[in-house]
Amino acid sequence: MIEVDEKQMPWSKDMTMASLLATLENVEFCSVVRLNGRLVSSPKFAETIIPDNSKIQLLPMVSGG
Amino acid sequence: MDKIKLKEIKCISYERAEIKKGYTDKSLRVNLDSNEITISPIEERIKNKFIGGKGYDLWLMWNAVKASTRWNDPENTICISSGPLGGTPGYPGGGKSIVTSISPLTGAPIDSNVGGYFGPYKKFSGFDVIQVDGKAKKDAIIFIDGIENKIKILEASDLPTDSYELSDVLTRHFDEDKPVNVSVVTAGPGAVHTNFGCLNFSWWDAGRKRVRYKQAGRGGIGTVFADKKVKAIVARFGAISMKSNNPADLDALKLVTKAHSKEIRELDPKQNRMSLVGTTHLVPIMNDHDCLPVHNFKFGSHPESRVIGEEVYEHIFDKGFDGCWKGCTVACSHGVKDFSPFTGPYKGKKVFVDGPEYETVAGCGSSLGIFDAHTIIEINFYCDAYGMDTISVGTSLAFVMECFENKLITLDHTGGMDLSFGNRFNALEIIHQMAGGEGFGAIVGKGIRQMKQIFAKDFGADAAFMQDIGMESKGLEFSEYMTKESLAQQGGYGLALKGPQHDEAWLIFLDMVHNFMPTFEDKAEALHWFPMFRTWFGLCGLCKLPWNDIIPEDNKNTSEPAKVAKHLGWYADLFSAVTGRKSSPEDLISMSEAVYNFQRIFNLKMGFGTREHDTLPYRAVGPVTVEEYESRQERYDEQLKEKYSLDIGDMDSKEKVAVLRQKREEQYELLKDAVYERRGWNNNGIPTIETVKRLGIDFPEVLEVLKKNGVE
Repeated sequence: MIEVDEKQMPWSKDMTMASLLATLENVEFCSVVRLNGRLVSSPKFAETIIPDNSKIQLLPMVSGG
Repeated sequence: MDKIKLKEIKCISYERAEIKKGYTDKSLRVNLDSNEITISPIEERIKNKFIGGKGYDLWLMWNAVKASTRWNDPENTICISSGPLGGTPGYPGGGKSIVTSISPLTGAPIDSNVGGYFGPYKKFSGFDVIQVDGKAKKDAIIFIDGIENKIKILEASDLPTDSYELSDVLTRHFDEDKPVNVSVVTAGPGAVHTNFGCLNFSWWDAGRKRVRYKQAGRGGIGTVFADKKVKAIVARFGAISMKSNNPADLDALKLVTKAHSKEIRELDPKQNRMSLVGTTHLVPIMNDHDCLPVHNFKFGSHPESRVIGEEVYEHIFDKGFDGCWKGCTVACSHGVKDFSPFTGPYKGKKVFVDGPEYETVAGCGSSLGIFDAHTIIEINFYCDAYGMDTISVGTSLAFVMECFENKLITLDHTGGMDLSFGNRFNALEIIHQMAGGEGFGAIVGKGIRQMKQIFAKDFGADAAFMQDIGMESKGLEFSEYMTKESLAQQGGYGLALKGPQHDEAWLIFLDMVHNFMPTFEDKAEALHWFPMFRTWFGLCGLCKLPWNDIIPEDNKNTSEPAKVAKHLGWYADLFSAVTGRKSSPEDLISMSEAVYNFQRIFNLKMGFGTREHDTLPYRAVGPVTVEEYESRQERYDEQLKEKYSLDIGDMDSKEKVAVLRQKREEQYELLKDAVYERRGWNNNGIPTIETVKRLGIDFPEVLEVLKKNGVE
């Protein structure tokens, strides 16, 4: 299992950040996530493998500056 | 240091105005030529139209300066205001001051929004705004004592020259028993010797028992301050509560304050963690999206950037409460304890460094090719202590380094210093030289616009190339975002009233990453709405960060997530609760639109404010050099083929650079057309008569300026 924004979700082998987000709704503004405490940005979503028991927070980057 | 001695030049006692619904309805003017101290009422019509904060500042400045006024003329004015909502304890970001003057860099009005307690202390002492003009004969301190109800002009001698020590000495001097009652505004030697002097606004950090400060950095207001021989402006006031603003509806104020504060406390740890890392989380994010300025904005990322981002600074920042306003739950003003500089007058001593924030890390780190967290902290420390804007320092130095690497300037010009990218020791040496007005640093301290002229005229450097790579617009150095792939953010910089500072419009992610605004009309709408709403914070004495850096969990389900509707509602509630002026989110935009257009016309009055002044260096728009093009060749080739339907098979990189430039510059001009139309301006970027009438700023003197510029 993994935790996404404090909700439990099933984990699968070879799951990437991109494949996870493809299963979620209303993530248009999610260009950055925190994966086990570390920032990962959208250009690296496809190459980022999610380990089992990961904790993920979706960061909606509408902000900055 | 020993007890300091200050000579009293002038002292008046006054009856402190009662605060009513966030306002004192009084302004304080201190003229340093005559030592006159004048307290005047603020008219109701001005209050209704200009709201407060930057609005009040600009109105007072408009009436103080002529079209011919230059930054170092006595009539140039420094205005500092808070705004009706400023000084609400516990409201996140509720303690801002807004400072304005005619800028040494741009020649036009500049504004800077800064934390610290000065703005609220000044207001609660009886004044919505302070206006300082004239020039003192000797170093002067202006003391607003809201406890004793006295205003004093004091002559100062033998005081510390740098802000770091001066802020501390003056805080302890003016209330030794309760230093928390004192906030000090100071500059430093860098403000004397450069055109981008900043102002440090202090507050007393009760937990660490020391003075802290934040900077009004942009546009050289510190330089004006130093030119007027103002050593410091000090405000002293006692305890503050939710009742201090005498709000129209105290219960409603408590309700909205509690709600916003609670949300930030709960959600910031899950989102950007600003209470732990400040804005340094932006470093890796910008790097990964190719938006972090590297080597004078040539590139947008660098493999070493991880060592200057949040992962490092989280461990370096001293733990504790870091709000620059009382009870702010964003609390992002972090600092470094017991830092020991390895250069300069504080070499080997232990100091506390306020910062760095993202802008300083990017401007004085990656853009200089310096990927060393400690060097960035040292640059941060000396820029603050010397009173110099870290953004202009970083961006100017980056320009110098690129000129050096391209042999436009040589060792003969730099005093023998190798100023290649990454040379951290010589970067620091230049900063010390700038502060002292010595050596090559004295030239760098003039800013990019003047450097371009000097390098061309005196050193024979290629003027056209420097125009392309010198990251300034309107005379102001760029803040630290790489805009090549975001047309909307190019507009955010190029169309900003004061010059390329991101506080008007930060659209880079909405445009480039989210593709939220695919058409010119979409971009124009964003370049209308966002600058207007962001302006509102400066009218009211608030920080923008709590609006959209920490957002509600259900925000993504709203129709326009970028606007953060729930928070817009809270801000309207806050304004209504304090002022009693029942307002909707749409009303907030209308308030800003009047002041925004007034500032545009103020630019026009000063000889700027038209289409030709909304230009950008090409480095902000696209790749200047073959090296840049080839570093992202796949991206640019695809754009030429797909977006512009060009056959590039026989083109070499140089030809591709040229044709891409033509296309991108055309796009930027089309963007200008669309934005001007949306804002109600003519094709030359001037507000029309219909617009100023609609906004209620059709004062005779405004219409006269428009008429002089062919608009009637």
